[in-house]
Amino acid sequence: MQTVKKFLSSLWQALFGDTMRAFGVVSAALLIALAIAPAKDHFSEWHGYQGRYLSLIRDRGDAISLRRRVQPGIQQTWLPELGVVDRCTTCHQGLKESSLADVHTQPFRKHPAIPHSLDGFGCVTCHRGQGPATTVAEAHYSDRAGEDPILPARYIESGCGQCHQNALTGTPQLNLGRQMLARYGCVSCHSVKLPDGTTLTASDNPPSLEHIADKTTREWIFTWLKDPQAYAASATMPNYKLNDADASDISAFLMSSSTQHAGDTATLVTASAKNVDPTAGASLYGQSFCATCHAVQNAAGNLVGGDVGPELTRIGNKVKPEWLQAWIENPRTYDSKTLMPHYRFTPQQVAILADFLKNKSDSDYGANVHLNAATPLQIAHGRKLVAELGCAACHKMNGVSKPENFAPDLSRIGSKPLAQLIFLPGMEHSLPSYITRKIKQPRGFGPGLKMPQFTLTNAQTDALTTALMALTERSQSMPAKLRVAAVRESNYQPAGHAGKLMTELACFSCHRINGHGSDMAPDLTREGSSVQRQWLDDFLKNPNTLRPSLIRRMPRFNLSDSDRKELTDYIMVAYQSPDIDPDTAPSATNTPATVEHGRQLFYSKYACQSCHIADTKTDKGYIGPTLTQVGSRLTPAWIYAWMRNPQALRPGTMEPNQNLSDEDARALTAFLMTLKSSGKQETK
Amino acid sequence: MPGKTDKLIEQVEHSRVWRSIFRSGTGTSTLHRALAIQQNVFLHLFSNKVRKRMLSVSSTWYLGTLTFGTFLILIVTGVLLMLYYHPSVPQAYADMKDLQFVVSSGLFLRNLHRWSAQAMVFLVFAHMFKVFYRGAYRAPREFNWVIGVMLLLITLLLSYTGYLLPWDQLAYWAITVGSNISSAVPLVGSKIHFLLLGGNQVNANALLRFYVLHCVILPLTALLFVAVHFWRIRKDGGLYVQQSEPKKLAAPDDAVLAKEAK
Repeated sequence: MQTVKKFLSSLWQALFGDTMRAFGVVSAALLIALAIAPAKDHFSEWHGYQGRYLSLIRDRGDAISLRRRVQPGIQQTWLPELGVVDRCTTCHQGLKESSLADVHTQPFRKHPAIPHSLDGFGCVTCHRGQGPATTVAEAHYSDRAGEDPILPARYIESGCGQCHQNALTGTPQLNLGRQMLARYGCVSCHSVKLPDGTTLTASDNPPSLEHIADKTTREWIFTWLKDPQAYAASATMPNYKLNDADASDISAFLMSSSTQHAGDTATLVTASAKNVDPTAGASLYGQSFCATCHAVQNAAGNLVGGDVGPELTRIGNKVKPEWLQAWIENPRTYDSKTLMPHYRFTPQQVAILADFLKNKSDSDYGANVHLNAATPLQIAHGRKLVAELGCAACHKMNGVSKPENFAPDLSRIGSKPLAQLIFLPGMEHSLPSYITRKIKQPRGFGPGLKMPQFTLTNAQTDALTTALMALTERSQSMPAKLRVAAVRESNYQPAGHAGKLMTELACFSCHRINGHGSDMAPDLTREGSSVQRQWLDDFLKNPNTLRPSLIRRMPRFNLSDSDRKELTDYIMVAYQSPDIDPDTAPSATNTPATVEHGRQLFYSKYACQSCHIADTKTDKGYIGPTLTQVGSRLTPAWIYAWMRNPQALRPGTMEPNQNLSDEDARALTAFLMTLKSSGKQETK
Repeated sequence: MPGKTDKLIEQVEHSRVWRSIFRSGTGTSTLHRALAIQQNVFLHLFSNKVRKRMLSVSSTWYLGTLTFGTFLILIVTGVLLMLYYHPSVPQAYADMKDLQFVVSSGLFLRNLHRWSAQAMVFLVFAHMFKVFYRGAYRAPREFNWVIGVMLLLITLLLSYTGYLLPWDQLAYWAITVGSNISSAVPLVGSKIHFLLLGGNQVNANALLRFYVLHCVILPLTALLFVAVHFWRIRKDGGLYVQQSEPKKLAAPDDAVLAKEAK
């Protein structure tokens, strides 16, 4: 103790013993303090990284040219109209150096190839983070005062989605997420306004519940409400985690509010399907290509079939037999907006198919459900629950109207400040992790939350998060010239009797015409210029397969001769291309020499057989349509125009534009027009 | 050599230019010394005579001087910060970031300004307490105490107006809350609120107003009051000497500085 005291007092004497000493010591301390600031500037982090970059490139083969492009000091990308001041390139020096492809240590990696110039868009536009910062901690991780931490790479496609409202080939995850926002009915409750002023609309087409009692039983509704995925693994309806009493009350309300629909109980005069071949149902199901839209779980538990219509694995448990028959007979009676075509089955076929579907049932499903008759009190409670849970946001029903602004608006969710989020203990404090958790466990954030539990894979959740992260402030304030609008669905409707037929046959569920319809099957906007009338008529009578690689096929509709003629005429007249002159390349004037020249071109110069089949004996190509009968199918004018520039006729087609000369195109057209069906077309 | 320098100094001091700037020359007489203080615009604010005892640490803890020192630091750093700062909504926050990330020693400047401001508020209070407990506010120094209170208010207002300038969340909400307090004044509350912000919300006008207040109006007012404050010390009879202090201890130190030098 004494020595310490002694030491301290001698130290005091040495430093501040007299005025001169004290002045000197204080001055020295001040100088040192003042020197710290410039020293810190000099030994800053980015200086270190620039030094490391220089030593990294020193030993490389192209060191001289790399060295020449190095710019010392703080670098920045300044884009006033985007509000971007990015100093990332101060440390990330090698972003644009294609020769650094083998460097994997950050911050010196080369940027992967993207269709934009890095200087034109900056870094934070896609990657987020704090652009002006010059330290790693501040640039990548700061979330103070509304700063955005850097976006994890697996959501990077959301950056593209800020400008591109359309689907891009390079952003599968974003496209899936956007599709799911519509497909899973997210936007039925949450409103999402896009920068162009439009609002996202749901595409899941949820069934109306106005006549639900005609279709199914209260027991099935109860079981379905308890766990929709137990009925159909692919069901998009989420699980509301209802208890037995609530599910029972809701089912009671739905049954009591349902009104009877005239068409549903009309008894059909059907020949008994009992005596027919037991495989008839399965083969009719196959022939009608039901599986193009509907899936069924096979023995291995995998879903087989499309996802346009509902899964049919346990359809027998759900629907009443008489309703099923009426539905198959004409689905539009029950639901005028259904995507399902009116097949025009014979009463015998209806009975066979209904019988086949009725047997798709699971005797264990809902076996233990016995509901007592509902009291008015229970029905009233069911109605209250339906209003509270927002069922009417998706489903049309009697007595409860669609709620407005039911769930939080998500138009700018991708820019929500972290300070406004309440995280659960142990959660990573970032916006994507919050959104992901909200989707995965919506009820986990506290009691009383209404959002139901969706059954989604991790990939789907990530896709949704990506799509939501694209809905940013920046996206809303983006200059209009940078915005790429989504392909908007037009409200095109064909006219007249043919138009009515096309609606009945649900052509637009698969085909697209004049910007309206689905993209599953070919766009028919120019079909009239493209095909020959006779072929179209035959095709509608009995569709055959054009592309050997496809599983989905056009089903056969039992159209009457007059209806078919009407439809064929309409397509031939209405769907003409103004750019194709039907008189170009008339096949009648072709000489055998031209045809032979075309054959040479087909097989040698352009090697078309690698994708197409012109002769089933020799050719193996299966990517493009089979061309064995193309001379009977397509018009020469179309083939000629197609040869010259396929992309002009069908944007995005895989057929390469070979820049054919006029002469080559004519010769090829002449050759292809000789590939006609042998004699009369066989009808299967 | 020293003789030569002395001669040179003397020559300069007797030159016309020198005499036109410094009216009275320095001399060894008390009169000369007093004149040198009195006729200098800065020095005439100070007492021309100070008791040596009053210059010891224990008598004042130099709190007033330290406060003035921080004030000078704030003026210097503040003027330098003004070179980088635009009081506009889109630029203000970005300028903070530039000061932090790209301006040489910018962060040091900002920190020096901020910590000096904190220190000044602390020192002003400490100065007040010291004056209060020593009873130095009593006659004839009552008015100087009042000026001191004005200076305290100006110091607090300087701190408050400076708080908005970084234009971050902290600033925004602090000023929102602070200016709402002014609306609680009876009858004219909402008018004051409107006047203060140049609108009903903290926005571009409020930023500009606070900038002008912080950089022009309040510092000038503060300088004026500081000048009066110093001048009153002299007029009220120099630094306050506690009367109750034993004369015995006080006596040897009572020699006047000027005499000591002689």
